Amino acid sequence: MADTPAPAIAAPSVRTVTPVMLVALSILGGWLVLALAAPVIAPYDPDAIDILNMLSPPSAAHWFGTDQVGRDVFSRVLFASRVDLLLCVAGVLPPLVIGTTIGLLSGYFGGLVDTVFMRIYDLTVAFPFFVLVLAIVGVLGPGLLNFILALTLVGWVSYARLVRAQVLTIRESEYIQAARCLGYPPAAILAHHVLPNAIGPVIAYAVSDAVLVMLAGASFGFLGMGAQPPLAEWGVMIADGQAFVQQAWWICLFPGLAAISLGLGFALLGDGLGQLQRRGVTA
Amino acid sequence: MPLLQLLVRRLLQLIGVLAGISLVTFLLVHMAPGDPARLLAGERASAETVAAIRSQYGLDLPLWRQFLTYLANLLSGDIGLSLRFQRPVIQLIEQFMWPTLFLTAYVLCLAIPPTVALAILGARRPGGIADQIIRLVGIAGLTIPVFWLGIMMSRFFGVSLGWFPVSGYGVGFTGHLHHLFLPAVSTAIWLVPVLTQSLRAALIEKTAADFVTAARAQGATERQIFWQTMLPNAVLPTLNLLGVMVAFMIGGAVIVETVYAVPGLGTLMVNALLGRDYYVVQGLTLVFAVSTVLITLTVDLLTAFIDPRVRL
Amino acid sequence: MSGLRNGMPPLLEVKDLSVSFGEFAAVKNVSFALRPGEILGIVGESGSGKSVTCRAVMRLLAAAARAEGSVTLEGRDLLALGEDELCAIRGRDIGMIFQNPASHLDPLRRIGEQVAAPMIRHLGITRREGLKRAVALLDDVGIREPEKRARSYPHEFSGGMKQRAMIAAAIGCRPKLLIADEPTTALDVTVQARILHLLRDLNRRTGLAMILISHDLGVVADICSQVVVMRNGEVVEQGPIDDVINRPRHPYTKLLIESQPGRKTYGTADGPDGGKPLLSVEKLSVSFSTGGGLLGGLGGGGAFKALDGIDLEIGAGETVGIVGESGSGKSTLARSIIRLNTPGGGAIRLDGQDIGALSGDALTAFRRRVQMVFQNPYDSLNPRLTIGEAVAEPIWRHGLADRKTAQKEAEALLEMVELPASLYDRKPRQLSGGQCQRVGLARALSLKPQLLIADEITSALDVTTQAQILELLVRLQRERSLTLIYISHDLSVVSSLCQRVYVFKAGRVVEQGVAQQVLSRPQHPYTQALVGSLARLPAHTGTISQPV
Repeated sequence: MADTPAPAIAAPSVRTVTPVMLVALSILGGWLVLALAAPVIAPYDPDAIDILNMLSPPSAAHWFGTDQVGRDVFSRVLFASRVDLLLCVAGVLPPLVIGTTIGLLSGYFGGLVDTVFMRIYDLTVAFPFFVLVLAIVGVLGPGLLNFILALTLVGWVSYARLVRAQVLTIRESEYIQAARCLGYPPAAILAHHVLPNAIGPVIAYAVSDAVLVMLAGASFGFLGMGAQPPLAEWGVMIADGQAFVQQAWWICLFPGLAAISLGLGFALLGDGLGQLQRRGVTA
Repeated sequence: MPLLQLLVRRLLQLIGVLAGISLVTFLLVHMAPGDPARLLAGERASAETVAAIRSQYGLDLPLWRQFLTYLANLLSGDIGLSLRFQRPVIQLIEQFMWPTLFLTAYVLCLAIPPTVALAILGARRPGGIADQIIRLVGIAGLTIPVFWLGIMMSRFFGVSLGWFPVSGYGVGFTGHLHHLFLPAVSTAIWLVPVLTQSLRAALIEKTAADFVTAARAQGATERQIFWQTMLPNAVLPTLNLLGVMVAFMIGGAVIVETVYAVPGLGTLMVNALLGRDYYVVQGLTLVFAVSTVLITLTVDLLTAFIDPRVRL
Repeated sequence: MSGLRNGMPPLLEVKDLSVSFGEFAAVKNVSFALRPGEILGIVGESGSGKSVTCRAVMRLLAAAARAEGSVTLEGRDLLALGEDELCAIRGRDIGMIFQNPASHLDPLRRIGEQVAAPMIRHLGITRREGLKRAVALLDDVGIREPEKRARSYPHEFSGGMKQRAMIAAAIGCRPKLLIADEPTTALDVTVQARILHLLRDLNRRTGLAMILISHDLGVVADICSQVVVMRNGEVVEQGPIDDVINRPRHPYTKLLIESQPGRKTYGTADGPDGGKPLLSVEKLSVSFSTGGGLLGGLGGGGAFKALDGIDLEIGAGETVGIVGESGSGKSTLARSIIRLNTPGGGAIRLDGQDIGALSGDALTAFRRRVQMVFQNPYDSLNPRLTIGEAVAEPIWRHGLADRKTAQKEAEALLEMVELPASLYDRKPRQLSGGQCQRVGLARALSLKPQLLIADEITSALDVTTQAQILELLVRLQRERSLTLIYISHDLSVVSSLCQRVYVFKAGRVVEQGVAQQVLSRPQHPYTQALVGSLARLPAHTGTISQPV
């Protein structure tokens, strides 16, 4: 064929993993291992009070020092990672699933569903995200479960909006028109043709969103609206340590660094996925 | 005039959104577990007192009637009464809003110059060393919990070095500047990466834009191209993001103000939440939402002013 | 035009120009010369390096590109100039216009300012004087009410007006050379003819030398005196236009000329069998609301009538062409026939049955009888599916075979459209545009339809590929006795392929009849304009047999 032969550039596989993403995956994997193995690794019971050893600085016995009631900060950071990791998953998955479903329906079928959704969207973005979640949690009562509930109540809207925007473009593409012309059932078109092409940016967004969820979770713990003491959670630990930060900086420092490193794992992964998405689009 | 048309249409939209906001804030308090009348009356009030309060506040009426009363109150400027302070919420907000507004403006002044500089630096050679560093540091900046950074900074700059006060609002303009420096920096450290990423991406996108090639083909120098063609076109998406971020910051003030004990709306909000002072929460949520809507409106008008294509 | 003013020194001389992007050599040892007042055409298909050559002349390539050789403009080597000297020449001595005028104008600045900018920059005149001259220039390039239009923004201009404004900006400083890179490709044919006329007029009036880059040999033959034919980064042939067209020496040039639409008549299948029409469209109207959304820019609001009382009939086995420019409603008709949009009035009948009333099994049966091939080769295939899966899917979804058998049938179909078996497991982005269109054809034929709609299926392809696809289409039609509706903006393609043709304008049929007659004796003024706009090779070049 005289027609330009298949582009020699063997189309870059969208699944290529960049070095940065490798770093991100190892951070996340590392935290997962630490969280699962916390009972084995932790040198102390995270809740064991030891009045004789309160506010002792980092040492060979207590790597990260102890807090105001003598609990081992290292053990607590490890156990807290279980709460915070779970928080990331529980705070991202429900909005992701609900939002994607509604976004697909709203974008593909339009009509009443779409109108109603867009009004809900307009209304939700009128509230500062943090304030709305805070107000809902405050009214429902502090606690992790209510935090997740509020997060889902507010968060699905962004996912739905993103999916809807994707679907609006995909819906107009000729391969969807062809699928309709070929008489495929709407459910098959949505599941087999629309969703796989719409989901990429959503996954990238969800991973980046995990950072926001973790930070929000820690912030709520800090404000006393999320996880409740004595449960070990990074935000709660930082809040506990705030009063003693003059004498014992280590109580606050280590949970914060833990939060940053986990956040970095998600953020770098999200960034890498986003870049692959963009490259995939231009390729 | 398209601008006038836009304004009218946006104002009409605004009314719908405001109605929605009032409904949500109304329902917010009704979501609260427990009896609002009991809350108003206090823990130890007798059943008769509670019943009296219930009919006095119209809490025995059907929900839609209560909502209408709420709407009517809103229209007359009454957004509720604080149970704890026994003062109208509007008065409390007037009292507490200045530190928050000052802080917001302060953050913007601190954040915008480095944003523009870093974005230009990064976009000048996309993928270069400077760009990579800016990008990675930016990503790292996003992951720092603001409250933790606040505590660490106040411990280091405030307590160890004694350069800045670690709490309060100060007296007079310079006093405010001095007291709010650490809170403003902690917020800016998080804001700058977000804005830089957006502006950088827009600049890089415009570098490859056809109209830039055309300007080059007409003999424009690189400097002229950057300032006259690329920057104005790249600034629009960032402007929109800035609007979103300012709204976000007003909300995020809750955290920073708590850490640095700034007597602003955020502190008021947290105290009201912890003290179950629901009408203050309701009033504040309403005010936050209305400010967000106004900020979005301002950004839209500004965008329409810069970009002749915008019509909505 | 005098192509043989040999005594004059060349205005621009390109010698052994090579451009590479890393390992990839985009342009290899290209040489040509241009004398003052001459129009030189550079013709080639996508990937031939024609645009890269001209961007190298203007030094507009990305930093990653390496250019070697020499480009001499009146004795100065452009490739050796510093940035400052270069800026003084760009826009002053050489003007340039581009393929897509919409994206090459700054959306935030008024047209007048953009036309005036090069003059203010290069001629040292004031802003006021610049704007005054810009208005005069806009008038020169045929924009009505130039003073008012100078205050407009680009989005308020039509495509043709934008290109006129680009031309005005390019000629403001009275350059010696104008480089036009596919200046009419994004425009409708009638607009294309007017822009080409403007360029030729400028050349005659002011003696402005031009390089016209185009994929369309017809356009080049229309206004150029010299032509350079490029392929894969190399010049395969160059010389005076008449020589090259009438006596092409290189086989590729011959192929290019052969492939020109309208050069060849594809023997179509037998005419209608005279019975009842297979498909009839009666008083069909389709409207879109313009309250918002994508069509928001059209008209003042309310509804935009995409189709306004269309009547047409298509007999079994016929090949019928639908011709019209953008916005004529031809694609809306196609979408209505396959029920992708709902008509506001009228009816479409297949074998006398109203297709609007179909549902359930009857609708499924209808889907099997009527199929469509789409315009954009890459967009019409799901990027996540291999082409084998894409062609097999309709077969098993319609329950005609299980998934394994469907895969086998898909392979047979792909073989039928002449795709090698090695490609079955590829994704669309690993194929060329022409190959994707073949897949689209195979998929449409997988349900063994009776009626096939082809909507601009070759408009995104190179001419030589277009010729191959058309041949394939005709072969398939004959083998499978398909009824074919061929939709195109290109009257010459349609008339070479179809027995009958309908000409659409603004949602109405303005003319219909036997294809050859419509082309040779158009009745309606619009059809006459359309025929007059066809950029065809000179008639005296003979028909199919080429003198060698």
